[in-house]
Amino acid sequence: MASRTRRRGAEHGARGGSSRRHAPEHRARGAAPRRRRVPMRLLLPCLVLVALMAMLMLRGYVHSEILADHRIRPEAATDKVPEKILEGGPVIDTRGGRAETLSLRDHRLVLTFDDGPDPEWTPKVLDVLKKHHAHAVFFVTGTMASRYPELVRRMVEEGHEVGLHTFNHPDLSYQSKKRIDWELSQNQLAITGAAGIRTSLFRPPYSSFADAMDNASWPITEYIGQRGYLTVVNNTDSEDWQKPGVDEIIRRATPKGGKGAIVLMHDSGGDRHQTVQALDRFLPDLQAKGYKFGNLTEALGAPSAHSQVTGLDLWKGKAWIFLVRASDNITGVLVVGLAVIGFLVISRFVLMLLLSGIHARRVRRKGFRWGPPVTEPVTVLVPAYNEAKCIENTVRSLMASEHPIEVIVVDDGSSDGTARIVEAMGLPNVRVVRQLNAGKPAALNRGLANASYDIIVMMDGDTVFEPATVRELVQPFGDPRVGAVAGNAKVGNRDSLIGAWQHIEYVMGFNLDRRMYDILRCMPTIPGAVGAFRRSALERVGGMSDDTLAEDTDITMAMHRDGWRVVYAENARAWTEAPESVQQLWSQRYRWSYGTMQAIWKHRRALVEKGPSGRFGRVGLPLVSLFMVLAPLLAPLIDVFLIYGLIFGPTQKTVVAWLGVLAIQLVCAAYAFRLDKERMTHLISLPLQQILYRQLMYVVLLQSWITALTGGRLRWQKLRRTGVVEAPGGPVPSQRSAGTRDGDRRPVG
Amino acid sequence: MTHGYPPMGPGAAGPGAPEPSWQNDPAWQTDPAWQNDPAWRTDPYAGAGAYGHEPAATAVAPEPSTPAPDPAPEPVPAAAPKKPGRDRYLDLLRSIALVRVVAYHLFGWAWLTVLFPSMGVMFALAGSLMARSLNRPAWGVIKSRVRRLLPPLWVFSAVVLTMMFAGGWNPTKDPDLGGGMWAVIDLFNYLVPVGAPPFPWQIGSQSGLLENTWAVQAAGVLWYLRAYLWFVVASPLLLWAFRRAPWPTLLAPLALTAVVGTGVVKIPGETGNAISDFAVYGGCWVLGFAHHEGLLSRIPRYVAVSCASLVMAFGLWWASGHLGPDGWDLNDIPLSQATWSFGFVVILLLYSPSWQELPGRLARWDKLVTLSNNRAVTIYLWHNLLIMATVPILDQLYNLPFMESERASAALDSTYMIWMFFLVWPLIGLAVLSFGWVEDIAAKRSPRLWPNGTKKKAAASGDGGRGGRRRG
Repeated sequence: MASRTRRRGAEHGARGGSSRRHAPEHRARGAAPRRRRVPMRLLLPCLVLVALMAMLMLRGYVHSEILADHRIRPEAATDKVPEKILEGGPVIDTRGGRAETLSLRDHRLVLTFDDGPDPEWTPKVLDVLKKHHAHAVFFVTGTMASRYPELVRRMVEEGHEVGLHTFNHPDLSYQSKKRIDWELSQNQLAITGAAGIRTSLFRPPYSSFADAMDNASWPITEYIGQRGYLTVVNNTDSEDWQKPGVDEIIRRATPKGGKGAIVLMHDSGGDRHQTVQALDRFLPDLQAKGYKFGNLTEALGAPSAHSQVTGLDLWKGKAWIFLVRASDNITGVLVVGLAVIGFLVISRFVLMLLLSGIHARRVRRKGFRWGPPVTEPVTVLVPAYNEAKCIENTVRSLMASEHPIEVIVVDDGSSDGTARIVEAMGLPNVRVVRQLNAGKPAALNRGLANASYDIIVMMDGDTVFEPATVRELVQPFGDPRVGAVAGNAKVGNRDSLIGAWQHIEYVMGFNLDRRMYDILRCMPTIPGAVGAFRRSALERVGGMSDDTLAEDTDITMAMHRDGWRVVYAENARAWTEAPESVQQLWSQRYRWSYGTMQAIWKHRRALVEKGPSGRFGRVGLPLVSLFMVLAPLLAPLIDVFLIYGLIFGPTQKTVVAWLGVLAIQLVCAAYAFRLDKERMTHLISLPLQQILYRQLMYVVLLQSWITALTGGRLRWQKLRRTGVVEAPGGPVPSQRSAGTRDGDRRPVG
Repeated sequence: MTHGYPPMGPGAAGPGAPEPSWQNDPAWQTDPAWQNDPAWRTDPYAGAGAYGHEPAATAVAPEPSTPAPDPAPEPVPAAAPKKPGRDRYLDLLRSIALVRVVAYHLFGWAWLTVLFPSMGVMFALAGSLMARSLNRPAWGVIKSRVRRLLPPLWVFSAVVLTMMFAGGWNPTKDPDLGGGMWAVIDLFNYLVPVGAPPFPWQIGSQSGLLENTWAVQAAGVLWYLRAYLWFVVASPLLLWAFRRAPWPTLLAPLALTAVVGTGVVKIPGETGNAISDFAVYGGCWVLGFAHHEGLLSRIPRYVAVSCASLVMAFGLWWASGHLGPDGWDLNDIPLSQATWSFGFVVILLLYSPSWQELPGRLARWDKLVTLSNNRAVTIYLWHNLLIMATVPILDQLYNLPFMESERASAALDSTYMIWMFFLVWPLIGLAVLSFGWVEDIAAKRSPRLWPNGTKKKAAASGDGGRGGRRRG
């Protein structure tokens, strides 16, 4: 690990100042625990996603969205089917190499219902059968039995027999032996799970009379006999699925001349009210004529086709039913979640468009002023930790400032001569303050103590200001209620892919989110790269704190609670370099999102307080929590449903829906770019951002959640203490930059 | 078989003139040969790769992907002085492409064509090397490329034709060929693959050792050589056009594919196949130029990657509406193959890290990567025939005493392809040992049996490597 850390440090160094961070404590907080978390942060989200996907697939499977095969084979020749089968009865026994058929005695009728159970019609069929004390046989499919196990249980309890009708109703003549075995065993599993029995009856899908056996279906029948099943076809087909009317169903179902018969009906697959009505007349009529309605083995006088299942097989069946149930329920929850996230995303966009439009119009109005122009000199604090590569540019850009300033560079124990570089520049209004490495908040507090003026501008050591930046940034202080101002951070290195994505994110974050928060008076973060504070306000809330990983969010929330306004100055532009590697980006965002969660937690009491604190607590905190902490938690659902929809369909609708959401985002992004007068070309990387970058962001957030829920807070405090102790001795600054690029230029809240 | 070589050889036409020149060129030097020279490398492959579609192909069909024979894979490390050695990233891509082609031809999984568009990658690598070589007079470059390609083909043709004739095939009487003298003239394509070589659709009997379509399978791979040859010949013109009008030249093949690959204009017969191949992979070939000329690196990366993925998305979308007999097999969907390969190659080339050696865990594959690059043409030419040859060998297993039971043979049945895949590699190794040295002769190097780079390393540390390596 040591070597890894070192190498990383070196890498960053080479790249230029982009990733420095102050403070050992960050190292301690970030690095050590992270080592242990590495597997977790990937493993847990992955497991959750895989589990969700598996549940979705299970559901799709029992709803016949997956693996369904709707082909039906046309009739074939019959020369290979034994004559006695073709002319024999409806019960075909091919067990143990036999080829025999059985018929029913006269005045025996066996009603058979295929394709169920159905939640609506099967109970009605069962009620009618019960009313007339009749028994029947239900050939259930595995998919339906899995979904409605209580109906299968009821059938068995009320004396009916159940038989296999395959798992998802394919034409078996198209299937391999393996698939046939699987269809049977899976069907059996569902019945076992539902009712605790196995059955030895089978009816092939799309079957009719015995004389309809042909060269394609006969070998299947023989094979199924080898597996120990009786194949049951029928003598009279009510064709109730065509809904020919109650009279017609009765006519077709009734055998001629008092013969016995197996009658085919359906209790599933559509509206079956005619079947139910027909049964209610058919049963008493024929019973009056001396017919008996038993189940198959009663009619044949054979031992029951059911056998009890115990032990492992029974538990397997129950587990299956449980899983199907769970997947149905979870899918239901997921769909609700998707609706919620969809609603949140859309309403956030609408809100942002609306409020940012209002904000832009307000501050761009002719003659708009915050108050009297602010012309007094201000102090610019530049906390710097190993910024040798960048610090000169940073300071020089300040020298071009149109506003009178004093610059204080606080060197936080750099080992690369950052302080010397600044001193060597020999600039009159630049002071260098050195301290032992103690972290960014401490550096800022030290700078604050040395500041000569009442307005404090804070920036990063690797950020470059435009000449007008400071002036624009401090104008809002003309309004005495304003305690802090956020500037507009821009990504300089925007030509790489990851840079372009962050550019889009920053432009949207500053031009939509921040304007919205400004209007709602709950901006959660002043970016560390470019922000300004009223000194008296800072002092009232006790200066910067190192309680959280995101001191910028922490201080901003404290300002709100103290009753200060926090506003956005769109023309105060500062140029920063965004992380160029996924690793760096990960660390930066992890710090931000975890820091935000810490800050929200730290300021949770605002929720119940009175006055401005309570207002922020009841409006700002929930809003920020919703958009920044909770919504991203549901965001993976979009991808789960996208993948499921793409693979299992409906593909077209899924793609269209996804493109629709993309178009909305494109509109929002384009609006943000227009507000900022940026060129639109970078928007071309928006589609890829949606399928690569967004996921990275929410995985980071999930990691923050995991850290928070698994006791990260405890670990943190312990480590912090360690950090403080170590700090002075401060071994080398082997910085991991990652965590660190100062988070300060957060685009969003 | 080597004898074929003389006529075309250096001696013959352009006697030697060109060659010397490069040899002296430091850049090339390293490889003593060309091996090092990227340009060469490519070629070989190039040849191979081309296959993309086999026109004829059939069942197994050859997928296009293979890379062809590039001769050069040499690892030339040593060469010190000079120019950067081979770019191992490109070598690795070529090796992956070869493995993918073999796997695809064996298993026939359509998704492999989406996972890694081997043929597009091979043609792009070849195009890049060609652009590099074309610093020299075009005629000499073409000659040397062709010279390096043909002798390995002649060996292959000699074996395959012998087998076909021994199997009783008479081209003049084959009804599928139209018969007569034309069929005989077509045989010339086995020497110089300017067109599609003739072959019998069925040969031998169903019960024979090899499946009766073996000739189709064996000759099917030659489409790649044909495409490669035409690309080489067209390269001076393409490069000229590319330098004057980069974007139109880059995109023209895609446009051509949209016309000839979608049925808008239908060109019948082998000519149609040849033009379609040229159009489908022309974009990748020119991308190789763009890579070499630095065009790709001049575009902001986010633009290049975003546009490439849009092009790829178009390819998938088009494929979804034009699925072929094997579903998502892009070889049956020219426009999708062209666009998907194009975008894929753009991204691969953009991220090209220019490794001097394989990093990290990849390093353990170093020797195989070197070997497969050195023998790409051989591997490509022979793999499909060898896939067929695994069947009679594996069938012997059914005769083993413990295989009597139904279960055992059912187990073998269901895992047959996997055993084929394991067996085909040793067979390819045998082919490399038996015929691979021809590639060295064609490249005017001393023949080597198993050029996996080990010697060369030693040599490299020693003297600059030339001698040692060659021998290796």
